[in-house]
Amino acid sequence: MPGLTSESDDLAMVPVSPEPENHPAVIYPLHHGLKSPIHRLSISWARGNTLQVSVLGKPQSDMATDVDGSEGGGGRVVEVKLSNSGDEEVDAARWRRIAYGSVIPFALLQSRKHSLSAMSLDNPPYKAQWWEHVIEYSKEINSLLGDRKSPPRSIIEDPKSVVIETAEPMCLKAAWELLEIFYVDKQSQSWIPERLLDWLADYDPLFSGTVPTIHSKFVDFQQELAGVQVVEEDPNYWEAIASALSVGWLGTVVKLLRLHGSYRFDQLASRETENGLVEAVALLISKMPRMRPNLREENLGECYKTKPDFMKAWEKWRAQITKLDCSSYWLQCDHQQTREGLKNLIQIMLGNPSVLSNATFNWMELFISHFLYVRPFTAGLESMYNLAQKCMQLKPISSPHKLFGLVLGILGENTEVVLAECSRSFGPWMMAHAVELLTAGSTHAEILLHEEQSKLGGISIEELHKLVYAQVLSSHAFTWQIAPIYLTSCIKQGIGLLENLLYKQPVQHSQILLKSIEICRLYELDTISSNIMRIAGLHHWKHGRKGSGVFWLQQARDEFRLNRIAKQLFDFVGKSVSDEGFKQWEGLIELLGSESRTAGGLEFLNKYRDFRRSLLQVHGDTPTDGARNAAEALVSLMKNPSTPQRFWLPLLYDSLKLLNWQERPLINVSQTQLLLNKLQELSMARLRPDFVEADLPSDSLSSIRLALATNLGRAILEE
Amino acid sequence: MAVITSSSSSQQLQVHRFPQNNYIDSLGFLPQLSSFHRHILLATFNSDSSNSSLQLLNLTQKTSNSDSNSPEITLQSSLTTPSRISSLKTSQNPNKPLIAASTFSGDLLVYKADLVNGSLDFLNSVKGFHSGRVAGIDVSENGSEFVSVGEDGRINLVSFVNGGLSSKRVFDGNGLVSYGAVKWASPVEFVSGGLGFGLQWWDQRRPGGPVSQFKGNWTHGSTSGIVHSIDIHPSRKHTCLAGGSSGTVFAWDLRWQQQPIILAGVGTSDLSALSPSESDVWEVHYDNYTTSSNYRNISESRVLPAMICSEDGILAVIEQGEEPVELLAEPCAINSFDIDRQNPSDIVCSLEWESIAILTRS
Repeated sequence: MPGLTSESDDLAMVPVSPEPENHPAVIYPLHHGLKSPIHRLSISWARGNTLQVSVLGKPQSDMATDVDGSEGGGGRVVEVKLSNSGDEEVDAARWRRIAYGSVIPFALLQSRKHSLSAMSLDNPPYKAQWWEHVIEYSKEINSLLGDRKSPPRSIIEDPKSVVIETAEPMCLKAAWELLEIFYVDKQSQSWIPERLLDWLADYDPLFSGTVPTIHSKFVDFQQELAGVQVVEEDPNYWEAIASALSVGWLGTVVKLLRLHGSYRFDQLASRETENGLVEAVALLISKMPRMRPNLREENLGECYKTKPDFMKAWEKWRAQITKLDCSSYWLQCDHQQTREGLKNLIQIMLGNPSVLSNATFNWMELFISHFLYVRPFTAGLESMYNLAQKCMQLKPISSPHKLFGLVLGILGENTEVVLAECSRSFGPWMMAHAVELLTAGSTHAEILLHEEQSKLGGISIEELHKLVYAQVLSSHAFTWQIAPIYLTSCIKQGIGLLENLLYKQPVQHSQILLKSIEICRLYELDTISSNIMRIAGLHHWKHGRKGSGVFWLQQARDEFRLNRIAKQLFDFVGKSVSDEGFKQWEGLIELLGSESRTAGGLEFLNKYRDFRRSLLQVHGDTPTDGARNAAEALVSLMKNPSTPQRFWLPLLYDSLKLLNWQERPLINVSQTQLLLNKLQELSMARLRPDFVEADLPSDSLSSIRLALATNLGRAILEE
Repeated sequence: MAVITSSSSSQQLQVHRFPQNNYIDSLGFLPQLSSFHRHILLATFNSDSSNSSLQLLNLTQKTSNSDSNSPEITLQSSLTTPSRISSLKTSQNPNKPLIAASTFSGDLLVYKADLVNGSLDFLNSVKGFHSGRVAGIDVSENGSEFVSVGEDGRINLVSFVNGGLSSKRVFDGNGLVSYGAVKWASPVEFVSGGLGFGLQWWDQRRPGGPVSQFKGNWTHGSTSGIVHSIDIHPSRKHTCLAGGSSGTVFAWDLRWQQQPIILAGVGTSDLSALSPSESDVWEVHYDNYTTSSNYRNISESRVLPAMICSEDGILAVIEQGEEPVELLAEPCAINSFDIDRQNPSDIVCSLEWESIAILTRS
């Protein structure tokens, strides 16, 4: 709950966290610019994670005594953007980039799931295929979260640079990789310890802020190293080597060992034995057997793919170490620090628990070191979990890092904990995308996530998380258009929420309107599409953009509303059609043009325009044929039931020159009779209360009557 | 930045993408100073801060270890604009080109770009001469006159008079019509387009209304569309190229007035006019690159090749009677693009997902 503190004139919002030690309070100042005292405050959610705060000053009546009174009363609405959490490792723009990038892998996986589910997923060949797809998906998402930057390669390598700087590592990526290691990558199941080791090498810097780490130790040592002349006399040198060795950074260890003074040309002769020992240890380290298919750059060791080979090599290697440990050369080594330092390294390699414990700084590092030197054949989550528990007892930490919680959840095979940790620390994006990894990798997770939960209104946890993520996307103006991809993958509630989303988009913005219609087209939501068009049509119509209004109502094929607006439109036409203003109508009438399109009552306008055109071309000296065409148009207009009654009289009045055509009558007997009937009908209609009198000269009716009567006479004579 | 090189039988294409962390409303090349020193202008929008700005980017070719040159962009200058930009046009004055930007709030803003020093300067503006968004603008060849159209149905001409801007209303449709695009055909003529696939030819010597109108009722069935973009080739001023809804691209030749030449469209039965896209074509430009070599060989009656970008993420070259050549197929919309006039092998386009792409054909 946000609390409010009032300091002098300005307000600020301070979210109160339930755990105040972990999350220092963030203060959001509100610049409302109003004079104190503030009378009322109201807070509501705006779009996304913004709060809308309405600040109201004292009402005017109370402020009457205020002398200057310029800003008395009134109010202001301020928007407060709440950041995602206290520590934001990913800013909003980066989040959006991740959101954009994950659309394609997600959509591809969904469509593959769809096509595979038709063939029953439980079938072994399809299951294997599904694995492939999930791995591909996971790798793509992983690459989106940032690349593992290889250290910059300079031609002259600085021998004293020992800290490998990776591109700012991200907790999010670290978490994703953990899930990938344990749930997806079946091929690496046999060498999980080694994968964890790589993982720690990449992400150890992440923990430096919360717990002591080897990485932070190394950063300190790096600075020190530049000023040290005789490294082997510095205890930090040996400690750093021991730490690096304990977590398997063998490349770094060997590199550091080669900085040893006995390698220098001027000292090589006098320190031959010492140098031999250093080199022997370095050689043993670089020959360490590793249970993994291949090595990453900057790492050393010998790889073994199968367990029996590895075990054999391991035994041999350990025997070599023991042999070296018992060697008599140690007695000949005069340099005390070197002797002790190297002996310490040998103890690490022999798996001496107390030495390992001294060399590592947190339980995660200790955990890794145990894999390497104490229990290299560990397999199975249960034994890993037990080991982790043991390490935690040895190196307890007061405030655990969020990734540690995730690791424990995974090792403990506790899906609920994994879900909770992901949700708490990494938010909706992680949840929506990681669900695929969890369900693929664990049957328990699959059951838990796919089960329909009555307390969630019958949807599964998986669907819930996708819906939540879609809501997050919907709340931003740039990402709402990718929400449909997630919504349509939700069977139960997705379409309903998609409808809501589409209806919520502002129709006045043409780009957004077209986008909504495009989304409807893609997902075959024809009804929604026509509703949106209808809404847009009415909006434009109400805001005076009649052309757009008519266009969108036509697109929506909304005959009913077109007829309704036709009545309003005729009011305008009635006034302006006879003068120059008619030019303005041309464009609209063109729009109504084609016969095949829905025009409703507006169809009349088109015919009317044609009639007017032909009438305008008729002058006293036009040939009779031209005039006859105009007359035909008049008759067909009068016959047409869609011609509004109120236009009858103006039409006839405008056509007086046709009725009185000198040369010969243009309208035959039956046609004249039709026109007379219409006139009769009109006089009857006059008696009704809702009749609208046409804006014509008072003698118009009588002159029309006279013209029609004369025409009738002439027509009868001619026939 | 991602690089994709695809090679078809005839041409090689290099694509470089640059995320921008802002929505790109419009963009374009500025006239180049030298072939190594080029500039791109972006109109960006940040919805979190509701800030819109014009950005001048410097485009250079970085010679990398591999044999291909990869472009590199650096931000040189950025200027906050009072409102979101709807359309951007530049005059082809090589040293200090004029930039005309129309806004969502109905204004026209004129800027001057100093390419040598890499700066943008505000020159002048006309406020509120359209009600609502200005849908399209165009700058005359000599850079002294701007024509604008809007959804409000107004058509305005803005020109420099005594150092200031003066605007004149050519036509006020009072909302009875809505326009979506405009393009100069000659110093006195221009073409507008809008609802119902309609095009209107205007001549300043004959004021009061369009001198010629084209209504697109060739689309059988009950749906019609909107023209989003128009182009006219300087060598063929009688032919007007238009692109709009449902992947439709057509040419209107003034000499055969009521018969459009359909280059692409969903509803057509003509197989050669199958559209590379099924949704809105946001922008069309004649593509001089393909024609630069065999320009004269294209007969008078054929429409010159054109490039389009679309809502469904397609950037393609279409030629009358031939299959379209797809240059890009993106998962998101391509909102606008520009072909470098002096160097037509290069294209810049803006992607909906807050990035731009630079394409080089060779």
